[in-house]
Amino acid sequence: MDYLLWLIPAFPLVGFIVLALLGKHLSRFWIAIIGAGSVSLSAILTFVIGFSFLSSTPTGGHYSQTLWTWLEVAAFNPKITLYLDALSLVFVFVITFIGALIHIYSVAFMAADKDYARFFACMNLFVFSMLLLVLADNLLLLYLGWEGVGLCSYLLIGFWYENPTNGYAARKAFIITRLGDTAMAIGLFVIFYQFGTLVIPDILALAPSTWHEGATIATVAALLLLAGGIGKSAQLPLQTWLPDAMAGPSPVSALIHAATMVTAGVYLIARMHVIFQLSPIVQMIVAGIGAATLLIAGFSALTQYDIKRVLAYSTISQIGYMFLALGLGAWTAAIFHFMIHAFFKALLFLAAGAVIEALNHEHNMFKMGGLKNKLPVIFWTFLIGSASLAALPIISAGFYSKDQILWYAWASEHGSPILWLIALLGAFITAAYTTRMMVLTFWGDAKTSVGHYPGKLMTIPLIVLAFFSLFAGFIELPHNFGQFTLFSNLLHQVLPETVLKAGIHGELLFQLLALLVTFGGIYLAYIFWYKQPQRIEKLKRSAPLMSLYRFWFSGWGFDQVYQVLFVKPIVFIANINKNDVVDKLYQGITTATVHLYRLLSFTQSGSLRWYIIGLVIGAILILSIQLML
Amino acid sequence: MSGNDFIALSPLLLLTGSSVLIMLLIALKLSHRNIQLSSLLLFILAFFSLFYEPDVSPHHIEPLLVVDRFAVFIMGLIIFSGLVVNILSYIYFEEKEEGPKEYYVLLFLCTLGACVLATSKHFISLFLGLEILTVGLYALIAYLKARHHNIEAGIKYLVLAAFSSAFLLFGMALIYLQTGSMEFSIIGRSLHSLPSLPPLFLTGLGMMLVGVGFKLAVVPFHMWTADVYQGAPTPVTSFIATVSKGGVIAVLLRFFIVIDGFRFSPLMLMLMSIAIASMIVGNLLALQQKNVKRILAYSSIAHLGYLLVALIPGSVMSIQAVSFYLAAYFITILTAFGIMTILSTKENDAEDIESYKALFWKHPLLACIFSAALLSLAGIPLTAGFVGKFFILAASLQAGFWMIAFVLVIGSVIGLYYYLRIISKMFSGRGGVPRKEQRSHPVFYLVSVIVLSLLTLFIIWFGVYPSGLIYFVDYFRLNM
Repeated sequence: MDYLLWLIPAFPLVGFIVLALLGKHLSRFWIAIIGAGSVSLSAILTFVIGFSFLSSTPTGGHYSQTLWTWLEVAAFNPKITLYLDALSLVFVFVITFIGALIHIYSVAFMAADKDYARFFACMNLFVFSMLLLVLADNLLLLYLGWEGVGLCSYLLIGFWYENPTNGYAARKAFIITRLGDTAMAIGLFVIFYQFGTLVIPDILALAPSTWHEGATIATVAALLLLAGGIGKSAQLPLQTWLPDAMAGPSPVSALIHAATMVTAGVYLIARMHVIFQLSPIVQMIVAGIGAATLLIAGFSALTQYDIKRVLAYSTISQIGYMFLALGLGAWTAAIFHFMIHAFFKALLFLAAGAVIEALNHEHNMFKMGGLKNKLPVIFWTFLIGSASLAALPIISAGFYSKDQILWYAWASEHGSPILWLIALLGAFITAAYTTRMMVLTFWGDAKTSVGHYPGKLMTIPLIVLAFFSLFAGFIELPHNFGQFTLFSNLLHQVLPETVLKAGIHGELLFQLLALLVTFGGIYLAYIFWYKQPQRIEKLKRSAPLMSLYRFWFSGWGFDQVYQVLFVKPIVFIANINKNDVVDKLYQGITTATVHLYRLLSFTQSGSLRWYIIGLVIGAILILSIQLML
Repeated sequence: MSGNDFIALSPLLLLTGSSVLIMLLIALKLSHRNIQLSSLLLFILAFFSLFYEPDVSPHHIEPLLVVDRFAVFIMGLIIFSGLVVNILSYIYFEEKEEGPKEYYVLLFLCTLGACVLATSKHFISLFLGLEILTVGLYALIAYLKARHHNIEAGIKYLVLAAFSSAFLLFGMALIYLQTGSMEFSIIGRSLHSLPSLPPLFLTGLGMMLVGVGFKLAVVPFHMWTADVYQGAPTPVTSFIATVSKGGVIAVLLRFFIVIDGFRFSPLMLMLMSIAIASMIVGNLLALQQKNVKRILAYSSIAHLGYLLVALIPGSVMSIQAVSFYLAAYFITILTAFGIMTILSTKENDAEDIESYKALFWKHPLLACIFSAALLSLAGIPLTAGFVGKFFILAASLQAGFWMIAFVLVIGSVIGLYYYLRIISKMFSGRGGVPRKEQRSHPVFYLVSVIVLSLLTLFIIWFGVYPSGLIYFVDYFRLNM
């Protein structure tokens, strides 16, 4: 099976090349066939390879395929090698399967857009880069994919570039993630310097014997990798780009800014888990960042009125949960939550996109309402997605994945009551903002009339995703629900098991508490935004609460703080340094080269006599140098 | 001569025969198209005859020639370039008023000269090859006699080449005086026991270097380059840039390997100073040029400097580096001049940088091909040029030549500026809707574009997957 591995990324790459080169000359029908077809083929192939992987685990727990060696100089011989183990299999599955559904949805969603081919070309390039990222067996190739997805994210956020704010959002995303990327590149240099290789399995095998636990160099390397991860995954303090990234089309938000790219940081940390394990401090930082992010983003989600921004903050918050799990050493729980989150968040974004389109591009939830009976399919699928996001017990997949993280926040070796309380509070807020979004959009009076109704191409992917958002959780049940742990068994081939504190009991009690909190959140939102909306009005009259609201609404003022701390000083320095002092040096070099050019140009007089003299002088020079030495 | 000799020499014989055959066909008053097609067929035939070289290499044809794997590799590059130039020439010359048919005869002769250089192991064959090549080039450069630049360029080349040939011959005579032979291996043997070079030999070698340096257009013998590149018809320019330089580099490399010249420090010092001067002067001269042909001419000076850098360590890796760089450079420069040829009109060659403005919006494919070629010349990763340059750097650093490696990097940085200038010109401005032009030769236009696209594919292919070419280059390496 491993010899087929290259085809998984090859299909979208071919799709990209064809669409980029011939896009202008193809009809919309063929663009859709190539754009959605290439990713669907990858998805089918992933099923085939995944099936053979699961039915008989290959020797060593992975398929790998070396395509070629890029360069071979001394010890530096980066190979183009694809590597599929249980961890990458989960990611490849999510990328191709959800990717294919989103592409199919896009065929209808983008049908009226004038840049149909450009859209699918970028999307295919994205899928290719993302697959490269998770299939790479060395960090150099991973970095290529990493930069590739960053580029595609930039291109797709700014897809409707005629509107300058979209271009601004795209640049913001690109520049902020670049901070993390740069740190990550330095991290790769450190790793290469230390181990003399960038091959991931080799590094993971070498690290424990080279570095002792808590070594400074391990901490440095882990911190640099973490910086890369938080940039891509929109975690504190680099989270500010994601809400603005919603300027892109909804399928882009679903694919890139919910299901796949933003979880690249999670993948990186899980992939390099050995290095993080060697540095307990950094692991604590990971957990801390996750916990802080999930709270901060949760509160912000509670105050937004743009439906896509609610989902954006919710994505930041849910990835916060994944980081928390990674920091706790609950590796499989993080990956499980990643997969379930990919299903329901892609579903929510696609459904939100359908709602927005049906209401003629209305993003404001307060102008929606009453869509329950008008858009029944959207309503039901959105309801299922919301249930999963709010972690509605037993019946939703989100419950199973989030419950695990809550449990480990208390019970794992690195767990603590504070982390658990934060995660619990996060669950409460999640339930609240999800219910608020649901209620405002689908219940109450209709405030905007429905323009047009989504077709089958849009509803079928929603239904499929809804199915998974409901039932995907059953492959991994909590310990006290019977020992059914299909998912973590698979991942334990790659990731270590979570170490629990000794003598911890009462998982059921914690589940009941979580249940209570979830229903509490739902009830609260139900009261405030549906049953008695006058209460909200009353609260709004209080000045301190209002300023808190505005604070949360603006995303805890991070943008403003960055504006004051970084943007303004830089602009200020740039202004007083208009004739850049440092530039003088470079200008000096430029002027010098230009002068040299002028000087040398005189020798190019075009006169034959002069050329012959040049030849003779050259000959004299050569002979005299030779004979004198 | 035995039967095997004939087989070994079949590419040379075929090229010779082709020129005679084409001459006869011209006498039969065949049309330009038929002449072009038959010469194309003959080029292909010559190219494929290389595949039938006996593998019992090296095959010596005493005392003048040797056909070994390296010779086959270089001949392959040369004949392939001739083939590409031949394809690109049709439209260009069909548009012009002069009778284009004899052009093909000269093309065969020049290719033959370069191939003789690639196989020569004796001063006589070296000189014969060089003169066959050069005499053909005089006529090719001045072929479009109605344009005054052409005649001027031809005369300049004629005078300077004759002048430098005199140096070359005199140098050979001096070496003959010292060693008593004109065959490389015997010269090498007579030097074998000497710790340092005798002055007479050094003088002779210096004189020869003047002649060789002129052909390679390295500093300080470079001054003709821009004028001739600019004046010659564009297909001929691409021929000068590739074929004539490749043959000379091959014979230079063979000579230095056979006489083991790398151990004599004055020789190496001289080559190094020439390389450094070429890299700096070439790149600087191209800096603010407005004529794309002149830019590429000056950049070719720098590129030959890079090739010398590869040659100087004289190690196994440096021979690989020379072969690889030569292959990458040939493909790239053919692509670049090919675009220029296609864009040329009856009246004007597309040489002014302004004529490339907004090319991307008018002919996106051509602009992309040209950009790929320029990026490869600049040595940007994922192109063949990058791997070539990387190879050169690795070879020279491995041998500890930090100084020239450093100059190479500086030169590349300066070079980036003028390559990017052309690219940014192509993407600047707005061309609006591409207008449908009525092409006078749609079939040949299509064929030319396909050939250029294939070459571009090679450029990127060798940049992404260089191992294939590296293996190939290693197989066809010159034995030390």
